[in-house]
Parts: sequence; C-alpha cells; structure tokens
Amino acid sequence: MYSYVLKRLLSAIAVLFGASLLVFVLVINSGDPLQELRESNAENVEFLIQQRISFMNLDEPWYSRYWIWLTGIAGCAVGACEFGTNMSGQDVGAMVANSASSTLRLVFIATILSIIIGILTGIVTAIRQYSSLDYAVSFFVFLFFSLPVFWAAVLAKDWMGITYNNWLREPQFSWTQIIVVGVVAAILVPLIIGGSARRRLLTGAVMFGFVLVVMPLMDSLNYAREPRLGPAVITLLGIGLAFGLTALLSGLNNRRVLYSALTVVGVGLVSYYATFWLLIEPPGGWLTVIGLFLVTIAVAVLIGRTMGGHAKGQAVAVSVITASLFAVMVLLDHFMRAWPGFLGLKPRPIATIGSSSPNFSGDFWEVALDQGTQLVLPTTILMLVSVATYTRYTRSSMLEAVNQDYIRTARAKGVNERTVVFKHAFRNSMIPLTTIVAFDFAGLIGGAVVVEQVFGWSGMGNMFVTGLSSSDPAPVMAFTLITGAAAVLFNLIADLMYAVLDPRIRV
Amino acid sequence: MKLRKLSAATAILATGALVLSGCTPDGGNGDAEAEDTSNGENGETSGNTDAFSAEGQQYTTEPEDTGKADTSDLETMEDEISVSMGEIEFVGYNGSTPESYSVYNSTVVNRIFEGFGYWGTDNVWYANEDFGSYEVISEDPFTVEYTIGEDVSWSDGTPVTVADYVLDWAYQNASLTNSDDEPLFNGISQTYGERVLEGPQGDPDGKTFTIEYSEPFADWEIMVNSTLPAHVVAEQSDLELEELVTAVREADTEALEPVAEFWNDGWLTDPGTLPDEELIPVTGPYTLDNWQAGESLTITANEEYWGNAPGTERIVFRFVNDGQHVQALENGDLNVARPQATVDTRGQLERLEDQIVLHEGEAATWEHLDFNFNDGPFSESLELREAFAMCVPRQQIVSNLIEPVNPEASVLNARESLTFEENYEDIVAESYDGTYDEVDVEGAAEILEAEDAVGTEVRIGYAGPNPRRTDTVAEIKASCDEAGFEIVDSGSEDFFGPGGAQETGDYEVALFAWAGSGQVVSGQNIYSTDRPQNYGGYSNETVDDLFNQLATTEDADEQQEIIIGIEQELWGDLFGIPLYVHPQLSGSDISISNVRDTASQDQIVWNAEQWQRAE
Repeated sequence: MYSYVLKRLLSAIAVLFGASLLVFVLVINSGDPLQELRESNAENVEFLIQQRISFMNLDEPWYSRYWIWLTGIAGCAVGACEFGTNMSGQDVGAMVANSASSTLRLVFIATILSIIIGILTGIVTAIRQYSSLDYAVSFFVFLFFSLPVFWAAVLAKDWMGITYNNWLREPQFSWTQIIVVGVVAAILVPLIIGGSARRRLLTGAVMFGFVLVVMPLMDSLNYAREPRLGPAVITLLGIGLAFGLTALLSGLNNRRVLYSALTVVGVGLVSYYATFWLLIEPPGGWLTVIGLFLVTIAVAVLIGRTMGGHAKGQAVAVSVITASLFAVMVLLDHFMRAWPGFLGLKPRPIATIGSSSPNFSGDFWEVALDQGTQLVLPTTILMLVSVATYTRYTRSSMLEAVNQDYIRTARAKGVNERTVVFKHAFRNSMIPLTTIVAFDFAGLIGGAVVVEQVFGWSGMGNMFVTGLSSSDPAPVMAFTLITGAAAVLFNLIADLMYAVLDPRIRV
Repeated sequence: MKLRKLSAATAILATGALVLSGCTPDGGNGDAEAEDTSNGENGETSGNTDAFSAEGQQYTTEPEDTGKADTSDLETMEDEISVSMGEIEFVGYNGSTPESYSVYNSTVVNRIFEGFGYWGTDNVWYANEDFGSYEVISEDPFTVEYTIGEDVSWSDGTPVTVADYVLDWAYQNASLTNSDDEPLFNGISQTYGERVLEGPQGDPDGKTFTIEYSEPFADWEIMVNSTLPAHVVAEQSDLELEELVTAVREADTEALEPVAEFWNDGWLTDPGTLPDEELIPVTGPYTLDNWQAGESLTITANEEYWGNAPGTERIVFRFVNDGQHVQALENGDLNVARPQATVDTRGQLERLEDQIVLHEGEAATWEHLDFNFNDGPFSESLELREAFAMCVPRQQIVSNLIEPVNPEASVLNARESLTFEENYEDIVAESYDGTYDEVDVEGAAEILEAEDAVGTEVRIGYAGPNPRRTDTVAEIKASCDEAGFEIVDSGSEDFFGPGGAQETGDYEVALFAWAGSGQVVSGQNIYSTDRPQNYGGYSNETVDDLFNQLATTEDADEQQEIIIGIEQELWGDLFGIPLYVHPQLSGSDISISNVRDTASQDQIVWNAEQWQRAE
C-alpha cells in the first residue's frame, strides 16, 4: 500500500515536471510581452522596453528562464516555495494564496452540489428508464452540457440576477407565474413518483392545488423578503424526514430505526432552542458552526448505536442523515432570520460580478449571505455542465448494475426493491463514478477559468488568463502546477477509494 | 491579445443572448424615439462647447471648458460609487516604476496625488491653480519657477515642500548610479534628469523652487507635476529630510542607496495588502483604503485634504473584464464603467437609457497606415505612395467601421493633432489640401499604368487577430485592387513581435495605432531619422530639423507653426495615411452628477472626485 502510494507520487512528480516544461515553453512563445510598449507613443518607451526585458529576463534563452523558475519551485521541497514574480513585480506565491481560496470555494461547492444533484437524477432516470421523465431529463442534461459557459453566464445574469433583483423590490407572483409553476409541478412530480395512471393523476392534482395555495400565501406573508421557517416547521419537516429516510433505507417496520430517527428530531428541537442565542452572533464564526455540526453528528451516532439494537448500522445511518439535514434546516432558519437585515444592506442581493461585495460589513450571517449570494450565479453555471456528466454516468452505471446476475439473484430470493436498488445496485454503480469525481474536480478548476473571467472573480483562473494574455509565465505556471497537482492527487485518492468500495481490489 | 479575442466573443454572444431573451424590445424602441425628438431640441439650445458631454448627464456645475468645472460647493456625501476600467489589477502606491506603471495603475494613483496640472477632456494640459502655480522667469537660460500652495500638505499633516520635489527630480535622474553604473532609482522616465542638470533649487523647507533647463524644452509644462513623500522616504532610510536633500544635490550616491532601495521596493506589496498607513500619505482628495486582491480597491475621502471636498466618500475601483460591464451597470454592481467600444455595446447601453447615461467620445489613440521606406515598391516611389493614398477609401472605412460606434467620427487628417483638439482645424487647413478626401481609383490606376506597376503586391501588416483591422484591410482591398494594386492581408499575431514581419521588413504598409501621450515632441521618435519608433525607416532632413526646433520651442503659437510645417512635409512625402481616432464608450448611472468622459489616459475617472449621487 505505502510503496504503491510512493510510486504513484514519484510518477506524479515526473508528470508535473514534463507538463511544466511543456507549458512554460508554450507560454513564453505564445505572444509578445512587449506588445503594449511597442505601440506606445511615450517619449521614454525605449527605456521602458529595456527595463521590462531585464526584469522579465527576456534576453535569456528559454532553458535558462525555465531553470530560474524551476529552481524557485524546487524550494518547495524544503518548504520555501518561490513561485516567482509576475510582470508587475508582484509575488505570485502571494497571488496564489489570495486567489486559491475563492477558486476552491467555488469549485468545491459546485462539485459537491453537482455530485448530489447529478447522482440523484441519475438514479431516478435509471429507475424510470425510457419514461418521459427519462427523455426529458436527458434532453435538458445534454442541453446544459453543450451550453457555452460564457453565454449561459450572460443569460443567468439577466434572468437570475437582474430580473430577480428587480422583482425583489416588490415581490409579487402574477397568476400566470403561479399557474405555470403549478402545471410544471403537476407534471413533474407524478413522473418522478410514478405509479398507476390513477395515482399519477391524483398526485398531479394535489401538487397543482398545493402550488395554487402556497404561492399566494407566500406572497401575502412577503416571503421573498421576510422568509422564515421557525421551530414548528422545522420539527414537522424533521419528522417527515425521519419517516421518509427510514422507509427509504430500512423500511418502516424496522421500529428501532424509526424511533432513533425520531429521537434525533426531538433532541434536535431541544438543541434548536439551546443554541439559538449562541448562533445569533456565533463567536468564532464558521468554526463554531462546524463544531456544533460535528457535535450533532456525534450525538446522532450515539443515539443510533444505543437505540438501534440489532439494526445498529441502519439506525446510525438514518440518524446521522436525519441529524445533518435537521442541522441544515436550523442553519437555513438563521440565514432566513438575517435576510431582511441583509436586504437593507444590499438591496440587490444577486450581483453579477465579484466574489464578495467590497466594503461590506455586517454580522456573521450577513457576511455569509453576501458571499453566498455572490456564489449563486457562478456555482449554478459551473454546476450545469458537471451535473450532466454525473447524471449520465450514474444512469448508465446504474443500468449496467441492475442488469447484473447478482441483482436477478437478489430479486429472485425475494429481496424488496428498495434494498435491491440502494444496497446491491447503487453501491456497485458508485465504483466507476469515483473516477469521474476525481477527473471532474481538476476539470472544474479549468472550467473556472471562464467562469471567473465572466463573473469578475479574482481566482486562479483569472490569474491564468491574465498571465497568458501578456505572455507572463510565472502566474500561468503556478496555475498549471496547482491544477496539475490537484488532478494527480485526486486520481490517487480515486484509486485508493476503489479499494474501499470494491473489496476485490487490493492496492 | 487573446484576452481581447475572448471578451470580444463574449460580447458578441452577449448581444445574441439579449436578443434571445427578448427583453421588451417595443418598450425600449418607443422610448428611444421619444428621446430622439427631445435630443434635437437640446442640441440647438444647450450649445455646450465640450465635445465630451453626454445626453442626460446632470451637473452640479456645468463645465465651461475642457478642464474641470469649479465644484468648490460640493460637500462629501456618505456614499459609495463603483467604477471599473477593466480587469487589470492595481499594482501599487508608487506608480512610477516600470513594473507598476500602467494606464490602469495611473487611473487610481492620479486620484490620490495632486500636482501642478492635469489633462483636460481634449488632452490639453491645464494648470491646477489650487495646488500651486508656475511661470517662466527667464528665457535664457530657460528657467521656471514653481510655487506650491501655502496649505498644500500630505494627509499625515506634513506640508508639501521643495524637498518632495527634490526627490521627484532624483528618481528621474539616471546620472545617480550605483557601483555597477546602473541608475539607482528604478524610475520610468529619465528626461527630467537629462534636461534639468542641477535639480530644483530652493529652500528644502520652503514652498518655492526654480528649475533651470540646459536648453528650452517644448514639454516643460508637464515635466513637474505630482511627487512622492520625501519625508517618508527619508525616515524609512534613516536619514533626516535635510540629509536626503543634500545627498541628492551633492549626488552622494552612497548615502542615496538606502533611499533608492526604499523608493524602488518599499511600497511594493503583495496584492491585497496595502503598505502601512503611515507610509502612504497622499496629497489628493482620496486615500487608499481597502484592497481586495484581484477584485476591488477602495479609495476613501482624505479627511486632511487641503482642497475642495470630494463629492463622494468612497470610490471603489473594481477589476472586471470589460465584456461584463453592461450587465453590471444594469444590475447596479457598477455605477460607472468603460465597456468595449463596439456597436453591440452601444446598442445595449442605448437600451438602458432611462437608467444609464451613454458617454461617447474619442480616445487619444489613432489608427494609421504607414509605408515601409526600408525596401519594397513604396520606399522609392512617391508616385506609388500617392496612388495608394488615392485608392484608400478613408471616408468609407470611417462610415462603416467607426460611425456605428461614434456617429460623430470623422476622417483624421493630421498626425500631430487629433480631431478633438482645439488647434486641429487650423493645422489641417494649412497642411492638407483635401487631395485624398475622395477615392480616385481611376487616378490611381493611371499612375500605376504610367509607372508600369500594375499588379504591385501590397502586404498590409497588423497585429492580429483584430476584426476591425481585418475589415479595414478588406475595404482597402476592394478599392485598391480595382486600381491595379494587389492587396494582401498580412495580419498576424506576431507582427510587432521579435522576428515578426515588422522587424524583418516583410510588409509594404503597416496598419496600427499610436496611443497619444499629449506631449508635444513625442512624434520625434516616430518621424525623425533613425529614431527607435521610426519603424518604416523614413528619413527627411527638413522633418528632422523641424523636430529639433520643436523640442526646444516652448511657445505654443510657435509650436503650432512648426507642427504645420511638419504636417506639410509628412503629407507631401506621404509618410503614411492617418485614418481615424479610436472611439470610446462609457456608461454611468443616471443619478450620478458630473461624470464626464475625456480623451486623456485617465479616461472617465479623471474627475472622480467631483462625482456625486443625486439624493
């Protein structure tokens, strides 16, 4: 195992070295760093050109420039990385430190969300293969996949940004909007739930009625500007979750699992009140929030283990998922509480540019909301593309798993459909997906180049583009190195994950 | 170049998207018509002299000339205005090193430093009388006396004195060298040190100094402007201010070494971190406040400012690709922006006319065709150059490519003066007789026949990809091929690069633009024999003499006479063919007063301290 990892790391270094050499030569030959000066009419332009030649080492041959860069990077081995300086004399290492956080935030959230959404849709479309839902999802997924990012971004800015902000000034649904949403829900939900024609019709009608009641109700409560959940709604949803997850993962007749999930909801309600004032202005910011979340998980595990009895494993799983989702709802409740105040500070919440509003000051929740609203558009755009990949891969690998002999055997011996899908088919279909996740993360950093450009973020992608356009090697190399390292690292992790998911593989 | 291509593509697609999203085209058009009729009336009654005023722009004080209006009655409003000039990041407080110097950095640092003058909207130099005054006190030797205003001080309370201007001279003086014989100070210009050998004379603590030129100098007015704080530099290099001044005056390079070291690097910080507050005092209406690397830089009203209060508490420079400006303006993320000057952008801004003021103007950048005098068919034959000039459809190029962006655009008929400048008409009237106003394909064909040069290949080189230049070449080809030339589009990415066609001489005509600096003598580098920017290898003794004369003439009227002489020679010889001045577009929120566009390099932020949102 260790020798395997070591071997992989060594080959990774060789790959990175080759890639860096190639990219370096390509970058320094990609254009003319003196271009702007050559067309300048300044009196001292000759002098400026000489100066730029000397501080960018343009008079040195390519191998010597590469060597200068490489010796700086070699310092990483002893913990003193020198990424070099860009053409403005700024330290690229510091630039990376600044830009990496916003890029990673963007890419990380986009990856997580697209994995969740992509896998869920993938499973649903695989279960309902060749239904109209399957066709519709395939159509949209391919549409999103083939959208040029910068073009989609312009549309998103217009619809989700400008139009939404305009609407938010005096939020009011028109009857057309309500009916359209109602019709869409009435068609979509029965397609997902399935069942006999009669049952579908009924579900559709119920959904339509639901929308018809809820949307005007939200309007009258001014929900878009003053949203709230409150303990009652959270508890009701929590109980619903406890039942739903139990039914999905172990079956409702497994009372121990159901009771432990319900206990989790009860404890959650108590802790909602217990942490309420602490969370109004959490000391330590996100650290406190994450700390509380970890405590929640620990408590859930404890409840699952003590109450689970013979079904310990399932009880823990259901408890933990219930607790996590309950915690997310509590978090959402606090965000909603801060929303009206946030709108006072930032009347047009969805911005089209930047990773945060300059000079924004507010309490913890308001600052988080600011960063969150700035993330909405770029994350959506970045997600659209990779959701497509996940959906299609999950669907096809689910279908492949469902057609295996062991599934037929499982069905033949009378295992119920839920267990077949989640325990036998899903787990096996996850194996090829780990590879995709690994590739996708590195790919998304690359995809972030365009997204950052279009949304005016100062991430690594932007550093790359700016560097490349002026044939300035240091920033481009830093980007290459980090994306390359991420790609290699994630592939390694994927290989190790195989062993966890598939006991047949030994590394 | 890549960047520009990408953003151009984004812009094109952006319009496509807007058309697709179909945002109420009818309403927009209706409004536009209504606005048009009222525009006509305005045009007749207002009669504003400033070519850069925009329809719908409000002013607290109407500008009277191309300089800044008097806004002494403004009070600073607790407010924030966001502006973007593009995505190029701010670099540093000291914008006078080659690493940090750029038009973009200057748009910020020129807001925090004031000096003896500034460029008006037509790129003409205005004296800044609030800051101080200057006058020529002797013609021989040519000596100028500067007086700094009594209450002019740094934001840390230290008065601005002669010592600051001694430092100003030091860092532009290449004769101060280290042991390796390299200049101590890593400054962008050395002209000051070459022209003024002794530096500013006067009591270092005083407010008055004189500088003596070794010979009269045409651009003397812009030689001394703003400076960096000498007291900070002295403190950081463990010297008394007195000692620093003495060291500079005595050229004591050993003592100056730590001074230069701090000046070169001391203000250079990592992106997102500003130097300590006490290191960066300012003389202007704003101070550097908050820098988010790659995203924004906020400048805040200088509480200790000695002059008129700025209109708005905070100006936020955001570093955003210019392809994104229009939507950001619409969403209010930007309040003032300078998107790409394209037909599409214009259309988008026009559609937002009840929200955004469209500023259309001209940059001090101009497009031209230059002949290759080193070799090729044009190098020897004036007749062929004339034939080429006769068939180039200049008016058509302007009508098809420039007027859609700037309807006021016209063909440029001079090189040393641009269409928006005051003396342009006078200079053109006396130097150019209108020979090449109309395309004369037949005349050109006759010359080609007579010269036995039918079928002459003309490679027009430019730095591509550049759609506008490609279109320009296509227009020329359509017209000149008919006359008997064979035009070849030789645009390539490395046209100006090392080993590119410009360097190897593989072109007959070069198509590019010069970014005008406003200096009087900057043309000397382009048109005089063997000068570095005389790419085509042009040589004309009369022009050389006239430029030498111009460089040492400080009287504006005499300068104009000499420029007329130069233009006559350049038209007679057909050095090249000027085409047009580049258009520029800016947009500003309709609620903000006093926004004006300008041809100078600072662009629309040049008077940012006068901006104020109407309540």
